[in-house]
Amino acid sequence: MTQDEHKEGIKGMVNPSRYGIERFAYWLMRLTGLGLLAYFIGHIYETSNILRGQVGWNEFLELTQTTEGHAILAIVIAMCVFHTVNGVRVMLGHGGIGVGKPARPDYPYEPASQNYRHKIGIYSAIVLAAIAMMYGLAVMFGE
Amino acid sequence: MRESTIMKIHYGTALAAVALVAVHILMRLTQGFAESLEYDSVLANYKFIPYAAMLELILILLAVHGFNGLRVILLELKQGRTYEKAVSYGCLAAMVALIAYGSRTIIMTNMGMT
Repeated sequence: MTQDEHKEGIKGMVNPSRYGIERFAYWLMRLTGLGLLAYFIGHIYETSNILRGQVGWNEFLELTQTTEGHAILAIVIAMCVFHTVNGVRVMLGHGGIGVGKPARPDYPYEPASQNYRHKIGIYSAIVLAAIAMMYGLAVMFGE
Repeated sequence: MRESTIMKIHYGTALAAVALVAVHILMRLTQGFAESLEYDSVLANYKFIPYAAMLELILILLAVHGFNGLRVILLELKQGRTYEKAVSYGCLAAMVALIAYGSRTIIMTNMGMT
């Protein structure tokens, strides 16, 4: 069986060099969304330990306030910032902001919506997520 | 409900949640991260009614946004009348269950039932 571009599965789908940074952002938006939903459910369960009183709360804090717990929280911060900034970009795009004017499709059929403004938005989301993660790490490990 | 209306709700909940979650995180940072997680500090937060109301609002906004997002992802993967209904009602049920569980924590702690 020959290996063509359609047989690479998820690896091919997420490869930003093939379908562009927009496709990578689409994939990352869904991945961070699922990650944040998982964290949110965990956070609701985590905070419910307050009903177990001071002993129960402190026992649970001992589990989460560890190096691993802080590392996971730093990843959550990065996911949160990327999801927010990229989400604002997507909302603006859906509202017709920054997607260019409608025009006749001519060869080489480059979509006007996939322009430098949105590319800058995606790269900004990634950079801001990295900065927020570093700041989070400094706050959590700096104490 | 029309998908266009659902997407408006999706975006509306996102924007509102960003503002409120920012306040929630700033509360952790103004006090000092470790101190803000101490039992007495967390209990005081829950007993302060405006803050408890904000937590309840964040819970509802994020549950609606999160489970609608999950529904959209699942509907992109596969389509079909039965599948779509199962996904939509499943996500709705999970959303209601999470809001109920989170509200239980907020209400009981606010009323001093710890």
